[in-house]
Amino acid sequence: MNKPLTMRQVIFMYLFLSLSPILRQIPSALANEGGRSGYLSPVWSLIALLPLTAIVIFLIRLYPGLNIYEIMDNLVGKVFAKCIIFLYLLWVILYLASKMNAFALTLQFTLMPKTRSDFFMTIMLVLVYYALLKGSKTIFRFSELALGPVMVLIGILFVCALGILRTDYLLPVSTFNLPSTIKASKNVVAVGGNIIIVLFFADKFAISISKKNMRKFWFGAILFVGLSFVITIFTFGITGPSLAANLPFPFYITVKSISFFNIFERFEVLVTMICILSDFIGISIMFSIMTKCIQWLFGITDRGFLFIPLAIIIFYLTYFVSTTQFEYRFLYKNIILNLNLIFQYIIPFLLGLMCLLKRKHIKKQY
Amino acid sequence: MIYVFGILLIISFIRQKDQLLKIKKNLILFMVLSLGGIGLGIVHMVSPHIPTIAFVLEKYLK
Repeated sequence: MNKPLTMRQVIFMYLFLSLSPILRQIPSALANEGGRSGYLSPVWSLIALLPLTAIVIFLIRLYPGLNIYEIMDNLVGKVFAKCIIFLYLLWVILYLASKMNAFALTLQFTLMPKTRSDFFMTIMLVLVYYALLKGSKTIFRFSELALGPVMVLIGILFVCALGILRTDYLLPVSTFNLPSTIKASKNVVAVGGNIIIVLFFADKFAISISKKNMRKFWFGAILFVGLSFVITIFTFGITGPSLAANLPFPFYITVKSISFFNIFERFEVLVTMICILSDFIGISIMFSIMTKCIQWLFGITDRGFLFIPLAIIIFYLTYFVSTTQFEYRFLYKNIILNLNLIFQYIIPFLLGLMCLLKRKHIKKQY
Repeated sequence: MIYVFGILLIISFIRQKDQLLKIKKNLILFMVLSLGGIGLGIVHMVSPHIPTIAFVLEKYLK
């Protein structure tokens, strides 16, 4: 468990964490904003996602063995770094509270409509607490272990669905549709930006990282876009964009109509399971980042005593942030999406820019 | 639920007491966060149907 984190584990964590928004939010949001041609939006998202990946790689190579706080400390000084970390802390708290709500709503929508959300949230917090007690490496290793079977399952679903894909739901697409698909791509960009999470754990990497390992970042970003594209085509081609736009979890409804050579069906339970696992990874990682932010802000050495008080805060905050599906949709679309763009793109971009300007000085230092 | 959380906080305090009592900063942080959590819990218990942030924002942004 004391071995350094590998790039594979980090990229698998990023992909796993992004799975639940890919399945739950992206198809619906793209149908809403991009209409029939919304499935093209993931392609546009590459324009923002690839430069962000380049910035993350650049920062890791320039500051080997340092995390985002230490990088900021070097670049802008302690006071400014702590201010930015405080803002990140607020973002993570809001993100966590909304994610907990999304998790509870998913379970209520799919499997257990009569069960109260506090039951789901308590179970999730117990699991997260247990995972964090074992160390964040456990979460990374869990992602590494579970992502393979999940990808195989998605692959099988895609093969089974090929026969029932309706091309009239997807075509024709004209240049007239392009502006709306470009605008809608911010929904994919806001999820793909999760790659900056890597910077919070950058101090756990081995000091020397080979070029081959760095290539895994590009692979992760491209696979994320590929997954978003495939899942959206799936959903639009089977459920139709107009219905997908109005459903809270269109991919779940899509999978209901898929069967494996008319022998096995009702795969939707597996989709719920994938979402639960992805939410578990997302909440655990974000919880770990939250405790890290507090650790950096107050300069404490141990984080173990923070888990229970923070879990209580997140549990109750969920009720104050959003409770119903409509509220969650509004909050995600208007607040969380835009905050994601600021914290995942604008701040890392500014850091990258400062690194470029101070590059000569940094190279002398390390 | 708030009683369960209260008990968990006491257990957590007892288990981590060496660390909390040795460093003042840790104790203050633990107390502030615990009081924050319990405060939110009391507000939720007293008025469970308080308008959410999303509801308020929706009302004023639209």
